[in-house]
Formats: sequence, structure tokens, C-alpha cells
Amino acid sequence: MLRALSTLLAPLALVALLDLVFAAGVWEPLAKPSSHAGTSVRLKRALQSPAGARLDFVTLGSSRPVYGLDHALLAATAKRHGFVHADLAMPGSHWMTIGVLARWLQREHPELRGGIVALAIQDFFYPGNGSYELGIVYPFRRLADIPLMAEHVPFQLHDVGTYGTYSALFGWRADVQDYLRHPYDRRDSLDWYAANVPPERTLSGNPESQGDMCAFGLDTLAACDAVEASADPARDGLKRQCKELRGSAAGRTDLPVLAQPDALPDFLRQTRDLVREQFRSMRWPQPPVVVLMPVPRLWMRDVLAPGLHDWARAVLDPLVREGRIRLVDATDFFDDEADECGFFLDFYHQNAAGRERLMRWLMPQVEAALYGADAPGAGAGPPDAAGHRERRAAQAGIIGAP
Amino acid sequence: MLFNSFHFIVFFVVVLALNQPLRRWPVAQKLMLLAASYYFYGQWEWHYLFLVWFSTIVDYLIGLAIPRAAQPRRLVVLSVVVNLGFLAIFKYANWLIDTVNGGAAALGSAFHLTPIDLLLPVGISFYTFQSLSYTIDVYRGVLPPRRNLLDYALAVAFFPQIEAGPIVRAREFLAELDGDQRVDFGDVKRALVLIAFGYAKKLVFADNLALIVDPVFDQPAAHGFWDCLLATYAFAFQIYCDFSGYTDIAIGCALLLGIRFPQNFDYPYAAQSIQDFWRRWHITLSRWLRDYLYIPLGGNRKGRARTYANLMLTMLLGGLWHGASWNFVIWGGLHGGYLAFERAVLQRVPGWNAGNAAAAAVRVLLTFHLACLAWIFFRAHDFAQSRAVLGHLRHPGADAFDPGAHAGTAILVGALFLAQQLGAHLRYKDRIAAGPAGVFAAAIAAAIAAIVLFAPTATAPFIYFQF
Repeated sequence: MLRALSTLLAPLALVALLDLVFAAGVWEPLAKPSSHAGTSVRLKRALQSPAGARLDFVTLGSSRPVYGLDHALLAATAKRHGFVHADLAMPGSHWMTIGVLARWLQREHPELRGGIVALAIQDFFYPGNGSYELGIVYPFRRLADIPLMAEHVPFQLHDVGTYGTYSALFGWRADVQDYLRHPYDRRDSLDWYAANVPPERTLSGNPESQGDMCAFGLDTLAACDAVEASADPARDGLKRQCKELRGSAAGRTDLPVLAQPDALPDFLRQTRDLVREQFRSMRWPQPPVVVLMPVPRLWMRDVLAPGLHDWARAVLDPLVREGRIRLVDATDFFDDEADECGFFLDFYHQNAAGRERLMRWLMPQVEAALYGADAPGAGAGPPDAAGHRERRAAQAGIIGAP
Repeated sequence: MLFNSFHFIVFFVVVLALNQPLRRWPVAQKLMLLAASYYFYGQWEWHYLFLVWFSTIVDYLIGLAIPRAAQPRRLVVLSVVVNLGFLAIFKYANWLIDTVNGGAAALGSAFHLTPIDLLLPVGISFYTFQSLSYTIDVYRGVLPPRRNLLDYALAVAFFPQIEAGPIVRAREFLAELDGDQRVDFGDVKRALVLIAFGYAKKLVFADNLALIVDPVFDQPAAHGFWDCLLATYAFAFQIYCDFSGYTDIAIGCALLLGIRFPQNFDYPYAAQSIQDFWRRWHITLSRWLRDYLYIPLGGNRKGRARTYANLMLTMLLGGLWHGASWNFVIWGGLHGGYLAFERAVLQRVPGWNAGNAAAAAVRVLLTFHLACLAWIFFRAHDFAQSRAVLGHLRHPGADAFDPGAHAGTAILVGALFLAQQLGAHLRYKDRIAAGPAGVFAAAIAAAIAAIVLFAPTATAPFIYFQF
């Protein structure tokens, strides 16, 4: 009986073993470099190279800080102060990535002092960013991280993508399938990245971000009419974004009504609790500087739930008061710019000019927050939840400075 | 309910758990299996359960009446008319109406029949043939009428077979029901190999091959020679993996419940002739057509011309059994033509049946390509689409082989073709089931891992459900 049972269970044990082999990273060298998972693998390898041997400060966040912050400037400024600042922001990152990466950093880089966590107010609307975020966290996760991941990407029977929370085979299956469909492309792409993207560039480089949105505007969703009318194939990416924008606009919710304390929907309560728990569990010697990245006007006018900005602040402000984080709210940074379109590459991301404009305002505050009271901008700007514009006008927006 | 759904897996585990303890009480066991079978079928469209019940009751009563009837032939005819009548109404009525309307329009007539708004009952072609086999066998005296309605109802509706076969004759099923249904550990291993490999065939191969086949057949004009050629090969393996995968799961599930189904596939692309192909492809349908159609028509006993005519008629009806479309008729007609040609010409060519490996390889390749040619009509939505694909295949030099686009598919279909040849000799499923525990565990684990890693996110229903 026992022998029969062991024969029947042996296949499952072998599959579990294979899952562990995948969880240990056997597929990572073959991951598609341009994918979320591939970007994450590249980052992990850069961190494991001599360039990532020592980390004092890091930037965590989504594609908005990837494009919107000047990572080369942050690295150079840190170097000037005798520190190392690495950019760990990755497109698609959300709270799960930040949580798993923070834990990984705690294990692998106990010397870490602090850093920047840069997101946008959109990131306060849901606890997870979809199952594709699993690909980003895979190279950094441990089995002990599964409960955390399950809070962001809970198991759903009819969504195979969510199985990746528990199984590395499911986590990598899309990448494996893509490899089999395009093996030559994968080989070429791996070769190209190996030759052209050294670890230093991964950890402190800025992406190419030429072009702007002035041909379409960024004030209202009407910008999408012009985008969709364009026959230029180069606009396909913008068309996809318009599809997302229109989808979000169609499902626009009135948050002030939803966010009544006694009628808070589960997804908002869960998001709030997860965000707060995550920051409270960060063990960095210095509280992280949370930067709410700029959001184009049309998002606020036509797409995002009215009140989302206030909701994001309502989530973060108690953390500021507890001294867990320091907050720089740049959400409406470009609102007063007549030519806001000139600072954005697309509907989501800043271009080089937008990056430069933001960093001129942000850098002194970040420098002061991260590198001490003697740095330029230190001590400036008391907490000011109400007057974002005044704060920006005063060139001092940090909230919760010690 | 689809085999490739979580609903089915949960359902089957529950049925299996109930079946084992109920073996001591056969009536309760059969009642449970019948209720489960009706639940399984009713999940698709419960209204059509009335059709299954009606067919069951009519054939059960006819079966009882045949031995006592003065003119039993009339009762068999009644059974045939009732069963094929339902099939005609649900499956062929609109096709006939379209054909009549098309013919009238071509003649310039304003005559027009309104199509009937009916959903094709899933599995009707399968359980109709199963039910017909009962009354015909009772009439022939090879099967005593079954007095126990529960047994007969289960023979018609047993869930592993009702939706897409294999076409288990009532005689075979009832013998299983009366026999020893004990399942030993060897049976369990064999069943698990069949189920795991069946799912792998469907989810790993058939569903991925569909991603290659569908774009080409949906828009043949947008593709060239190599796309069409590889899509045709790919479809040959898609439909094999889809249907034989389903059959393997059905046979494996039935085996776990103590019912042994007949084999339905035997490496058909290793066949050395079209006759051999039909001994390996959808074997239970081939046997049914042979025993209940070809032989009653006279088979090969009435001269050469009648033999060819009988072959052609059997295959035409076999084609039509698959679906109400002229493409299926052409598909059947091609196979009928192949069979007649083989008998009339190829078998008379000196050296054609030579025993050496080179001659066997030529025969296998020729048979495979003849089958592929017919598959074009089977897969295409209509005649125009099949003509478009064939149009590309007539011009091999029209476009170049692009390794980036074509090499992967070429390697895949080549490997699958080779696996058929090896499988026909190695009988790997039997060996794995009977082999050491390590081999069994590794094979099942490989099948599960392949499903997890390679199954597309969106899986399609089994192709033969539409028949």
C-alpha cells in the first residue's frame, strides 16, 4: 500500500522539485531581457556584480521614476558625499515589488542606509498591479515572501497568471513559451543586452526619452482623439495607452464618496493597510523618501477617480507623522506649466526635459534628506498637506523632514 | 462540461471517491454513475437531456420488443429512423435547407426555406451510433435485450464517452458492466498514464498547434506556400493530439471506474496505407461503419465494382457523420477514393508491399500526405477556403523558406511525425505503465510539467465536440 502510494505521489514530488529548481533561478539566464522579468534579472545580476557590491541608497519604484528621475545625477550626488546610490526602479513595479525588493536588500545589503520610493497616486488605488508583477519579483523572492506576494496577487482559480504566486513553473511559463516561439530573437536579444548594457548603466543610467506630447496635448482625454486618428505606426504605443486611459475613464469612481471611513471598499482598505504595513516594516536606518511622481493634467481631469490624490495622502500622512517616511508630493508639479506636454514622453512618463525640470526642484530636497543637514536644501520646507503649489513655488516640498 | 476544465477534475474526483465504496452495492453504484453522467451532460445544456432520455427509452423498448416481434426488421427500421431522424433534424436540417436555398437561387428561383434555430446537441453523433448498435445487435441476435433499464441507460450516457466517444457499442459496455470491475494497481498506473498523456496531447500540442493553424486557415490569402504546407501538417497533428488526447482521458477515466473501453487510436501516421490508417484512426468509428454499414451493404462480397461503390458510400457517410458541410463530404469522398485506388491500383503494383524499410517509409509518407490532403477539406470552413490553401500548395516556389518563421513549426511537426513512427514500434504508453516506478513517475511528472509550462493560457474546446 505504502509502495503504491509512493509511486502515485512520486510524480507530484518530481514536479515540486522542478518547481524548486525554477524558483532557484535556473531559467533566469534565459529570461527575455526586454520583459519585466528580464529587466528584473538584469538588475539582480548588476547588483551581484562588483558595481553593486556596496549600496548606501537606492531608488525603488515603477516606470515613472525610471523615466522621471535622473539616476545618473542621483548617483553622482551620492558619490560626491562618499556614498553609492543605485537605481532599482523597474517598469511595472508596484507595492509587491517594493516589498520583496526591500526584504531582499535587507538580506543582501545590510549596509543600506535609505533611499527613495517613487510612485504615483495611481498606485494607491489597488493592492496589486496584476499577475505580471510576479515576473518582476521572481528573481528577488524567497519562499518566505509568498504570503506577502499572495496579499498583492491572490490566487484565482480562473486566472492562471496568479498561480505564479505559489509556483515558479507558472511564474516562468509565459517566458518559456515565448522563448520556444522566438528562439533566435531571444538569443540575439540576450547577446545584445550582454554586450551593450553593463551593470553600471543598469544601476545608474537614464533611459532614452526624446520626444514630447505637444502634437496631441495632455490637458484632456481629447488628446486621445488625435492619437487615435494618427496613421503613424510609431503611435501604436500611445494608442495602447489611450485604450487603457479610456478604460479607466469609463470606470471612473467618485472616491470622496467611496472613501467614507465607514464605507471604505475592501480594495482600498487592503491597499491602505498593505502600503502602511510595508513602510512600517522597512528597516532602513533613514526613513525612505517617498516621491509622488508628477501626473499629467488629463489624468486628474478625465481619468483618475476624483479624490485619489487626497486618498493617497490620507494613506501616507500618518506614516509621515510616525516618522516612518518623508514625503515629496510632486503629483501636480507640472500643473501650472502652460506647455506641460513638452515635459512628457507619453501619457505616463516624463521625457528628458521633464526629468531635468523635476530634478532641479527635487534634488536639493532629496540631497538634504539622504545625505544630512549640511547638504544644500536641508531643513527646508515644513509639512504642508494643503498647499502643493505654494510648496513648489518655495522650492521646498519635503514633508516630514527631521 | 469539458475534460480540460477544473469543474471536470473536481467532478471526477468526487465520482471516483463515491464509486469505490459503492461497488458493494451495484445498483447504487450504477445509479450514482448514471446521475453523474446526466449531471455531466446537463452542464452543457440540460434541455437536451430529454433527447438522451427519449433515445434511451425508445431503443430500450425496441430492444425488448425485437425478440417477440413478428417482424423485428420493422422495429430496427423504427430505431434507425428515430435515431437518425434526430441526427438529421439537429445536425443536417439547416445544411439541407442551405443547399436547397442555394440551388434554388442558382436556378433563379425565389424559393426559400427558413433555417431552423437549433443548437446542435453535443455528442449526438456519438450516442446515436452507440444506441443504434444496441438495437441492431439485438436484431442480429448477437446481444440479448437488456431488461435492466439502468444498465442500458448507463451504456448510452456513461459520461467519459457520451460527448466525444470512443463509440463503445452497447454490447461491449454491457459486458464490462456485467464483468469484473475491479481495478488493480496496474490499471491505475495505466489509467494515469493515459490521462496525463491525454491532457498533455491536448493542452501542450493541440492547443499550441492551433495557434499555428488557425491564422493560416482563417486567412489563407494572407499566407504563402510554406505557411500553408506547415499549417496543413500542423493540423494533421493538432486534430490527432486533440481527439486522441480526449480519447485517452476518456479511456483512462473509465478505467479508473472499472470500465475498459476499446482502443480508439493506434499511431495513425505510422500507417502504410489508407486502409491501415483507418485501422489506426478513430478505430471505434471505423469498426462501426464497417460492421453496421459497409458489410450490410455487401462489403467486398459482391464484386469489384460494388466493393468500390460500398467503400465510397461508407466513407462519404463517414465524412457526413462528422458534420453538415460539403467539405466533410469531400473529405470522406477523398478517403473513399483513396481506399478504392489502393485496392484497384496500388495493391497490384509489383513490389508495392515490399517488406524493406525504404518501401515502408515511402508507403508511410504517401499515406501521411494523402491524409494531410484530405485534412485540408476537413479543417477549412468552406470549399473556397480549402481551394485557397490548395492554391498556395500548388506553387512551391512562390515564397522562400524563412527559418525564423518556419523552422520551429517544421521541427515540431517533424518531431511529432517521428514520435508516431517510434511510438508504433515502442508502445511507450504500455511500457511506461508496466515499467519501473521511476520511469512511471518521471513520465507523469514530465507530462504535468509540460502542461504547466507550455499549455496556452486560453484553451480551446475539443474539436470533436462539434461533431
